[in-house]
Amino acid sequence: MLQTLLKGVFEWLKSAAGITILSSIVLAIVVAMNRGPFILVNVVVMGGIMALIAMGLAMVLGVMNVAQFAHGEYFMVGSLIAYLIFTPMAEYLNQNPSPVLAFLAPLLTIFCALIGGGLAGAITERLIFRELRKRSKENWVMNTFLLTVGISVILINGHQLLFGTDFKGIVRYWSGPPFSFYDMFMSRDRVYTMALAIIIVVCFWLFMSYTRTGRAIRAVSQDEIGALMVGINLDGIMTLTMAIGCALAAVSGGCLLYMYPSYPTVGLEPLYLAWIIVILVGLGNIMGAFVGGFVVALLKVVTVEYVGAGWDFVVPIAIIIIVLIFKPSGIFGTEVRGALDK
Amino acid sequence: MLLEVTNLDSGYGFLQILRSVSLSIDEGEYVCIVGPNGAGKSTTLKSIAGLVTPSNGEILFKGEPIGGLPGNKVARKGISYISESLNLFTNMSVQENLYMGAYTIKDRKLQNDQLEFVYELFPRLEERKNQLAGTMSGGERKMLAIARGLMSNPTLLLVDEPSFGLAPQLTENVFASLDILKQGGMTILLVEQNIHKTLAVTDRGYVLENGKIEIEGKSSDLADDPHVKKVFLGV
Repeated sequence: MLQTLLKGVFEWLKSAAGITILSSIVLAIVVAMNRGPFILVNVVVMGGIMALIAMGLAMVLGVMNVAQFAHGEYFMVGSLIAYLIFTPMAEYLNQNPSPVLAFLAPLLTIFCALIGGGLAGAITERLIFRELRKRSKENWVMNTFLLTVGISVILINGHQLLFGTDFKGIVRYWSGPPFSFYDMFMSRDRVYTMALAIIIVVCFWLFMSYTRTGRAIRAVSQDEIGALMVGINLDGIMTLTMAIGCALAAVSGGCLLYMYPSYPTVGLEPLYLAWIIVILVGLGNIMGAFVGGFVVALLKVVTVEYVGAGWDFVVPIAIIIIVLIFKPSGIFGTEVRGALDK
Repeated sequence: MLLEVTNLDSGYGFLQILRSVSLSIDEGEYVCIVGPNGAGKSTTLKSIAGLVTPSNGEILFKGEPIGGLPGNKVARKGISYISESLNLFTNMSVQENLYMGAYTIKDRKLQNDQLEFVYELFPRLEERKNQLAGTMSGGERKMLAIARGLMSNPTLLLVDEPSFGLAPQLTENVFASLDILKQGGMTILLVEQNIHKTLAVTDRGYVLENGKIEIEGKSSDLADDPHVKKVFLGV
């Protein structure tokens, strides 16, 4: 019994997933001992948020087979909603201080970003992708890719037209002294957003694994015809998928408003990062995207620490190129039989 | 009549496969459609199951028109289609696949009753309930596909080529389980290439050639029909 278990563990450690996870943990520990534990905090904060964005992207890709290049714009929508809601609330709180409200206001803001992003995603699906699906399924991947690029252009320019190009940011969500932990100081915003990201990821994972609807979403990503045969309403699942995917991007935008102020092209960096993660772990693999978020965050943080801040995109991309040469289906393989052959 | 198909025209895009196909099935009957490759047997089943939209004709199920409805709505009316390529959810466990089959049943207790029923029919699946569907052998996958189709407690089972790609021994097993279902009162419409076996087990049959029903009648009569003998059995 123990022997088979150990054998299984060794087998897993020899697989690409095992090697990646193990070497990431080793790298994290070595760097933390060398430069200090604050590295780990940065990785967890960055990683949690990046995992959220990448999971949304992976889900849309896996279920709808849409190469979503407007994902960053839903991040932008989320940060804009958060800004528009939080600024008046902060002003009100300045005049009428109240510790309870000061704690709740950012939570409400981020919740609104989540709902707003979900609605935006659902509307996009209903108005654009469903109409396309009804009319033609030929060249679906290419057509939807071009559509998402179009959506991205419209949203970026829409933001510019309606709200201008200036940075719409806030100084902080939660005021107060930073938390201290051993000899590190962590701002309240970081700790709270990290906690929020983890709660959302866990809820999302539970939803996908154990609920009837979550199972249906996975079923559609594995076999659309099979899903139809057991009585799943494809249109409903597609709308829900897009809504959840966009909501995850938007809630990340809301969470990170204190780091990334809202401006028209704020979504580009998260978009690139999410695509890097999704390609690295294998297209459409949702749980892989969760792990990949942390791996890429670690690579970024380590690069900034040892090489320089300008290199934090170069090193992860170089590593991805190397990984893809040796394992073209990505680290965790892929559930989707090639995003291109459906 | 449980299912009544009248003058059905169907096909893919501009390609018309079925030309004025009519057939009917009574409750509890075990009916087969046989015919050579490319005759339109699978297309007939797919049109009934709502996976291919018919261009003309009428499909009545329990007196209700279901022609042109999408597959998920047809499935909800109580028709289970078991496709040739199975369409299993390969990255889910056997049990999860079965629960997906009962997607249209909301009551947890009914779901578990159905699960018990299919495990009794295919004890092999219970042994493998935590295995991923994609890692099972061809015969086991076929069993799983049939079991998943049964999970929704259907009134009509459409089975497409159950012997496709199976060893003769496993084919026997699949036919045996269909027999058990028939004994239990299930209505089955079977499409098969294995004409000997099919005509031996079914009550009634249709011979489909070039998208048209050429002959229909009792399976025992069909097996003796000179045309069938000449075309399919080579005697």
